[in-house]
Amino acid sequence: MNCEVKTIVDVTVLSLSGRLDASNSKEFEDQVVKLIDSGQKAFVANLTGLDYISSAGLRVFLLLIKKLGDKGYIHLCCLQEQVKEVFDISGFTSIFQIFDDEDSAVEA
Amino acid sequence: MNKKRIEIVNNLSELESLVAFVQKTSDEWNLSPKLRFNLNLVLEELVTNTISYGYHDIPNQDQTINIVMVLDDGKLSITITDRAQAFNPVQKEDPSIHNKSIEEREVGGLGIYLVKQLMDEIEYKREDGQNVLVLRTELKD
Repeated sequence: MNCEVKTIVDVTVLSLSGRLDASNSKEFEDQVVKLIDSGQKAFVANLTGLDYISSAGLRVFLLLIKKLGDKGYIHLCCLQEQVKEVFDISGFTSIFQIFDDEDSAVEA
Repeated sequence: MNKKRIEIVNNLSELESLVAFVQKTSDEWNLSPKLRFNLNLVLEELVTNTISYGYHDIPNQDQTINIVMVLDDGKLSITITDRAQAFNPVQKEDPSIHNKSIEEREVGGLGIYLVKQLMDEIEYKREDGQNVLVLRTELKD
């Protein structure tokens, strides 16, 4: 899994690629928690390149949205079909705001 | 009938071998991207569970996990066998996920639920000190 970070105005965009699983979810969690702790409040996770996610990865997204609470948000965009299905089954599509493209997710 | 087998040891670093096994088997059996994804997920969830919790307090046993995949007449079955503590995922209560706010959602507990949702059938038995879990799914597409 690779997570590239860029900033568009005051929004931090995380571009994930590869597999987010039990072997690397902690690394991703630490990376984003550090950004939240340094004061970042607005996040977009662009999942265009994310081929795979398991419950270990879903857990991190839930932790992040809980940690941000009322003070911030994490929007998602560009989920691949199977990743979307796992988000659906987990009930995450009603928790997260999901967009078709990065621009909409950043502007929302 | 096609049959593939892998034995892994009780360590999270084995996930990599598991991914390679699913990749190779899926290529040989020409499985759909959806089924590949689901097989990866199901195996990761179950094996990670056993590695993380199953072998606590029983350090001196044979700590391997056996996985056999069989493809027969459009049906795929996965049998996972280990000597870890008895654990029946079929009886595990589903997490409550519907109509819950972010604050109410519990972190974790999703793995087994996903397995149950993605497979058509799941059967558990404890036999000769082993957990034997059989999962089945049809090749729909």
